[in-house]
Amino acid sequence: MTQGYQGYQGQQDYQGQQGYQGRQGFAAAGPVSAVSPAEQAAPAADTGTGSATAPRVPSGRDRYLDLLRSIALVRVVVYHLFGWAWLSVLFPSMGVMFALAGSLMARSLKRPALSVIKSRVRRLLPPLWAFSAVALALMFAGGWNPVKDPDNGGTWGLVKLIDYIIPIGAPPYPWHVGSKSGLLEDTWAVQAAGPLWYLRAYLWFVVASPLLLWAFRKAPWPTLLAPLGLTAIVGTGLVTIPGETGNAVTDFAVYGGCWVLGFAHHEGVLARIPRYVSVSCSALVMAFGLWWASGHLGPDGWDLNDIPLAQAAWSFGFVVILLQYSPSWQELPGRLARWDKLVTLSNNRAVTIYLWHNLLIMATVPIIDQAYNLPFMESDRAAAALDSTYMLWMFFLVWPLIGLAILAFGWIEDIAAKRAPRLWPNGVRKAGGRRRG
Amino acid sequence: MATRTSRQGAASGALAGSRRRRLPMRLLLPLLVLIALMAMLMLRGYVHSEIMADHRIQPEAATDKVPEKILDGGPVIDTRSGRTTSMSVPDKRLVLTFDDGPDPTWTPKVLDVLKKHHAHAVFFVTGTMTSRYPDLVKRMVDEGHEVGLHTFNHPDLSFQSKGRIDWELSQNQLAITGAAGVRTSLFRPPYSSFADAMDDKSWPVTEYIGTRGYITVVNNTDSEDWKKPGVDEIIRRATPHDGKGAIVLMHDSGGDRHQTVQALDKFLPELQAQGYQFQNLTEALGAPSALTPVTGADLWKGKAWIFLVQASDDITDVLVVGLAVIGALVISRFVLMLLLSGIHARRVRRKGFSWGPPVTEPVSVLVPAYNEAKCIENTVRSLTASEHPIEIIVVDDGSTDGTARIVEAMGLPNVRVVRQMNAGKPAALNRGLANSSYDLIVMMDGDTVFEPATVRELVQPFGDPRVGAVAGNAKVGNRDSLIGAWQHIEYVMGFNLDRRMYDVLRCMPTIPGAVGAFRRSALERVGGMSDDTLAEDTDITMALHRDGWRVVYAENARAWTEAPETVQQLWSQRYRWSYGTMQAIWKHRRALVEKGPSGRFGRVGLPLVSLFMVVAPLLAPLIDVFLLYGVVFGPTQKTIVAWLGVLAIQAICAAYAFRLDRERMTHLISLPLQQILYRQLMYVVLLQSWITALTGGRLRWQKLRRTGVVEAPGGPVPRQRTHDGDRRPVG
Repeated sequence: MTQGYQGYQGQQDYQGQQGYQGRQGFAAAGPVSAVSPAEQAAPAADTGTGSATAPRVPSGRDRYLDLLRSIALVRVVVYHLFGWAWLSVLFPSMGVMFALAGSLMARSLKRPALSVIKSRVRRLLPPLWAFSAVALALMFAGGWNPVKDPDNGGTWGLVKLIDYIIPIGAPPYPWHVGSKSGLLEDTWAVQAAGPLWYLRAYLWFVVASPLLLWAFRKAPWPTLLAPLGLTAIVGTGLVTIPGETGNAVTDFAVYGGCWVLGFAHHEGVLARIPRYVSVSCSALVMAFGLWWASGHLGPDGWDLNDIPLAQAAWSFGFVVILLQYSPSWQELPGRLARWDKLVTLSNNRAVTIYLWHNLLIMATVPIIDQAYNLPFMESDRAAAALDSTYMLWMFFLVWPLIGLAILAFGWIEDIAAKRAPRLWPNGVRKAGGRRRG
Repeated sequence: MATRTSRQGAASGALAGSRRRRLPMRLLLPLLVLIALMAMLMLRGYVHSEIMADHRIQPEAATDKVPEKILDGGPVIDTRSGRTTSMSVPDKRLVLTFDDGPDPTWTPKVLDVLKKHHAHAVFFVTGTMTSRYPDLVKRMVDEGHEVGLHTFNHPDLSFQSKGRIDWELSQNQLAITGAAGVRTSLFRPPYSSFADAMDDKSWPVTEYIGTRGYITVVNNTDSEDWKKPGVDEIIRRATPHDGKGAIVLMHDSGGDRHQTVQALDKFLPELQAQGYQFQNLTEALGAPSALTPVTGADLWKGKAWIFLVQASDDITDVLVVGLAVIGALVISRFVLMLLLSGIHARRVRRKGFSWGPPVTEPVSVLVPAYNEAKCIENTVRSLTASEHPIEIIVVDDGSTDGTARIVEAMGLPNVRVVRQMNAGKPAALNRGLANSSYDLIVMMDGDTVFEPATVRELVQPFGDPRVGAVAGNAKVGNRDSLIGAWQHIEYVMGFNLDRRMYDVLRCMPTIPGAVGAFRRSALERVGGMSDDTLAEDTDITMALHRDGWRVVYAENARAWTEAPETVQQLWSQRYRWSYGTMQAIWKHRRALVEKGPSGRFGRVGLPLVSLFMVVAPLLAPLIDVFLLYGVVFGPTQKTIVAWLGVLAIQAICAAYAFRLDRERMTHLISLPLQQILYRQLMYVVLLQSWITALTGGRLRWQKLRRTGVVEAPGGPVPRQRTHDGDRRPVG
């Protein structure tokens, strides 16, 4: 039946096949797409062939993957804002982001490994530096002295500040800075620097990718499933590795499966497995994840981010299903088309959005607090109304703030990718209107 | 989206449009029914303390914020409108208080004893119990007792927010109003004891409840009857010293209370002999009654609440019975299938088994085709490779895509093309029948692929002169997608379990349109195919049964088909099947009362088919409703284990069917997902058919979009294609 099956796929996914070829063409010819997020850099950007060309409308990008990345980003922001544990089940953002990055990494690794790693690191660091500079300045201004910090004091604390420059570990931050009555909550540093673990994990994955890809080609199944096995060991308390190394290893294990799934997607391995097998198996893996979570609920209940093995299993299964149905869109279809510009923008500025969003969420608080001083807000009822809708206002306010951050710092991503800096890369060309890819 | 075409050709566009507008209804109605069921279940779970119950109890706390005079004062605490006073019951008066009721067993007995000794008491009832047993609360009020609030579902209020406290009180009050038509101003907090046990956690609650207009009544003589210490001990603890007045705490609910009842029966006359009066609280205090009649909207709200709770209780009882019925049906069906299909397989696979003398006479193969341009060539080519002598008659039912020309262009010697104006599949089959030359007729679809041996295997049962029709074994070709794998499982089970079972029971309801064989004489006796129903294959099969013919299953007559690839196509196909089956059952309903073979089929086959194909799937949603409820509100573990148990039974049956058909077991891995996604789709379709049947809706012919990828293993053509919606896995 295999022949029939493949023939059938070809026929039904006619549209998709075109898209796929378009992508291949893009990868080979290597024009710079206007929508390469630095983080998941398009390979062509480093060949130098098109780095000087003006911003262009997306031509060869798989808009389905772009859409997934945008959803993942929005989910992360909403989750960090409201703290709803169920969001981590509804859409495992981090797993999806690592899978997409893994897929692009596998594509890039057609070129010499060292140059790929170098280019990835080069794209990652400058945006981080900008963020680190602002965050550290604020922390120091708040009176934080890394040498005297009770949690990671001494010279070591000073050394660990390097993580703000090269994130080989998650950087240190004060648990309390400033005063409770200050403009920002005294835990703002925790909130702001918290998400930086992702960059550390990403860096590790990038560095390990040549080896992982080699292993994947030699032995696909063991390489795909090894991270899950490793999570079962280091993520369940069976073996505990102390300190930041432990965190790094655990994160590597938890999301390693997704990263390698990205490889599998790119290499076409996923497409070769009959759909019923992959979907059914991933449903079983996900069911295991939920079952495990039910017995190991964390401080926030069903928040998978606190339950490594559940997170690994759930994300793995979820990503398999998302990638299995990967339709390879050249353009967002139907009603999704109206989100085109936002998807393009968020993909172009993924690193900026991710780095800054938590700090910006904190920054909404002092801004909204100003509302209490408004004349018509003096009654208790008005204040109570604001109290009860506070989160909502934060939600509405954080997006414009993210927009401002994109304007202020987003261009650094372009510089890091050796491109002409752009202010607002949402795929709309200033002159000549839109060109359909 | 699926391309739907209509057999009636011309009108298809307009009809498709009108269909689209009506589309949500088919989801809306079943969905509403399910939501209503779920809401009723939740209401019941809520008044049975399965939902929102909170069993935490506050440990003892400091008492420095409780006013001294409260700690030292009496058990009736009044904190209304800024007051902080407490009262005690005068000497020689006892106020019996009963908490946590009403209880259907013990409260009537307590009331009987009180009545017997002309005593009044106070019952602090919970909202949940009041809602469930409103008649008892009415009786309390009617017999001169007072009722007080004891919250809705008995949480420790010091853990609760003000909103929840308000809600506990008002919901409790609502239930009392609904039950007895009164409001009460008495309140006793759960887990309370004496006034001196007030602490910094419970005092603010007491103060707050005062602001809501309630008097808090604790006690100063605890019988501790809930510990079941023995009748005498209860009496000893309940008796106050030196003729003092007291509020006595007892319980009429929460377990076996026969000691309480017996103690009362002794205790009441004893103390009455000592000069004690047993009164309700306001009588003892000489105050106006705590109960005020309620009229108007509040009364009706209360009555509506009680009605809803009673209804939910009743409905849940019915649902539980339904669940038991469906459970028994499902299990017994599986057992029956395993048993009978095993018997069937043994019978037909026995060495030297034969239906009769080998059938070698030539066969007419009818291929009705409507716009089968993509598939017809493969179909016809697969037939020309037949090992059995055949003539092929392709009946073109007014195709607009040149189906007939394609067949003619093939220039095959034993293939004839008959054209007709578009008149539907039954008419096409009848025309083919009229044009055929032989006595054995094979019918297939224009998009199905036969193996070389299929026709021969299919007609061998005609060696037995009693056999009037034979069902073949339709197999899903495109089984690598998820929806394909699900249908593959369904087909293998349907053909290897259901059909074998029906064969043994002699009531097979359907010869699949994709692969079936008929004796011409049998067809002619029942008047050929009819377009009375949407499932002409079921219709004709039932007619043959009624005429006394045997209908059997030929397991080796395999035909390869392409199953629908989208939910939309699948929906149309199954809707037609299930509605057609209902029409056919209705059409042949007279068989129930007839004599002879018709009556036999009517009294054995029809009820069986109706039960398994029309009634049982209707109850199937109950499984999911209870599953969902059990998983969310508990007992989660037991529910999931039970569900896995049913899944295991299904897996065993499926594995057996796969073994009988010598299929690879790998597809069974999609069985768990099938049970939580596919099965629901099937019963929603059936529900929709019911709605159509009951509202007298019409249904048009829908044809599936074809992709054409199925090939028969070992077939003559490397790439064959098939397809349509007329093979039926389940009989």
